Amino acid sequence: MKTKTTVLTTLLCATALSSAFAADPIKIGVVTPLTGTYAGIGQQVRWGLELATKEVNAAGGIMGRTVDLTFEDEEANPSVAVQKAEKLFQVGKVDFLTGTVNSGSTLAVGQLAERAGKLISTTVSFADSITGDRCSPNVFRVNARAGQQSSALAAWLAKEKPKAKVFYLGPDYEMGRSTVAAFKSDVQRVGGASLGEVFAPLDSKDYTQYFGQIRATRPEVLYTSVAGNDTVRLFTQLQEFGLLGNLTVLGASGTVTSQNVAAIGKAAEGFVTGVGYSAEIATPENKKFVEAFRAAYKADPDLYGADSYGLVYAYKAAVEKAKSTETDKVRDALRGLKWQTPQGEKTLRAGDHQAVQTMYVVRVTGGQFKIVSQVTGEEAIGADACTRF
Amino acid sequence: MTEMLDYIQFVLAPQVVTGLVLGVAVILVALGLTIIFGLLDVINMSHGEFYALGAFASVALGAIGVPFWLLLILVPLLMLPVGYIVERGLIQRVFHSGDRHVTTLLLTFGLGLVLEDVFRLVFGPNPHKPETPMPGAIELIGIFLPIYRLFLIAIGVAIIIAVALVVYRTRLGAMVRAAAFDRNMAASLGVPVSWVYAGAFAFGVALAALAGVLLAPIYSVFPTMGRDFILIAFTVVIVGGMGSIAGAVVAGLFLTQVQAIASLYISPVWTDPIVFGIMVLMLIVRPQGLFGRLGHA
Repeated sequence: MKTKTTVLTTLLCATALSSAFAADPIKIGVVTPLTGTYAGIGQQVRWGLELATKEVNAAGGIMGRTVDLTFEDEEANPSVAVQKAEKLFQVGKVDFLTGTVNSGSTLAVGQLAERAGKLISTTVSFADSITGDRCSPNVFRVNARAGQQSSALAAWLAKEKPKAKVFYLGPDYEMGRSTVAAFKSDVQRVGGASLGEVFAPLDSKDYTQYFGQIRATRPEVLYTSVAGNDTVRLFTQLQEFGLLGNLTVLGASGTVTSQNVAAIGKAAEGFVTGVGYSAEIATPENKKFVEAFRAAYKADPDLYGADSYGLVYAYKAAVEKAKSTETDKVRDALRGLKWQTPQGEKTLRAGDHQAVQTMYVVRVTGGQFKIVSQVTGEEAIGADACTRF
Repeated sequence: MTEMLDYIQFVLAPQVVTGLVLGVAVILVALGLTIIFGLLDVINMSHGEFYALGAFASVALGAIGVPFWLLLILVPLLMLPVGYIVERGLIQRVFHSGDRHVTTLLLTFGLGLVLEDVFRLVFGPNPHKPETPMPGAIELIGIFLPIYRLFLIAIGVAIIIAVALVVYRTRLGAMVRAAAFDRNMAASLGVPVSWVYAGAFAFGVALAALAGVLLAPIYSVFPTMGRDFILIAFTVVIVGGMGSIAGAVVAGLFLTQVQAIASLYISPVWTDPIVFGIMVLMLIVRPQGLFGRLGHA
């Protein structure tokens, strides 16, 4: 008994001594879907964050401290995301949190972050409300939102198919409804006609029940904002029922990505979207990033991987500017921050914490995402709708 | 009048066909589930994962070039030893304890969780989709029908009839029904009950896997696909009668048609609660389901 106590006490003292010498790491919590429908997105988020963290740590970390990532599974479910975020804030004592994919999760975790006095950023969620009417002083967004994507896409549509007749199909939740609403208003603006809209539950197995409606209205263009497995099913079923023949399919940037384009196969050919990133961007920074990504993970990065990679560098720049990881100082440093990312320079707008960046219009050709046009950051960004701060 | 015809042609009829496709697949899965329950008295919570296993097997084998018609025969055959091992190796271990219902439920639930994670580890979280074996469609009295879906319905019906014939018209089927009715009596009359149990479980698993192979080109393949299916399969089993083959068929057709047609009129999110509502109603009004249990009158 006495030897056991002595041994344990020695061990305890040893750990206390050793931790006094090491600088404690900066802890970034990541709540992202590792299972479920959006697991493919979570995988890209994870890859992007891990690659950037490895590079930052190899170059000496942030202010001499290493960056530690802790992952928790959000299962694309806001209530699970809140639980896991709470765990990371209270037990894990993370300095910063990111990774939420589902727009509902981002909004919910944002409220939690305000209570916990910490900052979060999403690298995926599209819903405009996150930096719009439901903005929060503790929530940042480094990726492009639905409004920016649809501005780019609408500009392309105005040039290629003015006065097009459009039908909309979106998943029935925050992201689906806001992307459809954003694109619809852009379509009206460029002179097109909206024929109808339908919202399907997430994880719908069969979209054929909507095809009757779609066929009846005879659209030229179909806009959709489904993602992950849902896209695979929608597109292959559209092809199965012969609807892809004279239909141009446009969509949100998350609809077809490198994670599901293989499964969709030929049905994805000709799909056009407005997106904040493409692996085809020809800048030297992007080429370096894509090579490093391919070498590490044997897959191409998509917008989620690239934006998550960019987030780590944004956080690094902000902490170095603020010379601290304290919430208020980092928040001030992040506001108006300009930093380099694989897709060029981005600016975090101070008024609503939204990243302003060049937007690309991309078409799927032979399974690759080819850039067909682009729109500057200022043109795409839209008004600052955040009135809270 | 033309408006109504248009409606039937473009909206109602395709929806009924879609419901039939899903119905046939659900019946195949529910048949396995109900036979396993009727005979072994085991609630197999991992049944959805065997459906997924069949789909993943078709993706894996298809990728090395096995043609589709061969997959239809090969995958269920491969599942038979898997089912046999699960029954003998796992279920029999807890079968003879007093609280068998609880232990087998927990065991199969755990097995389901493990299988789902194995799929994700081996195949990754992203969806896969095998090529549709019979692309193209035909127009029948103006209704647009993809050929593969028609094939699916035809083959599903053929298999269901075959299963019914085997269970009710062959000696093997008589042995299965006897073992379900009175296990000890059947054993003393020379029925190899432990073989019958293992065989029935393996057969149920093979049916679920076959449903997986058939549906994979339409619904795509991903690790959580078992979860999609198990709820409706269980609902069909409960409404039809736990252990009743006729019940699985009738309830399967009925519930999927309800789901398909209801989604035309109300928001599709509500079709699931309606189906579960029917299940709850059945449990209140007639807990044994529409038809009796396998082997019993």
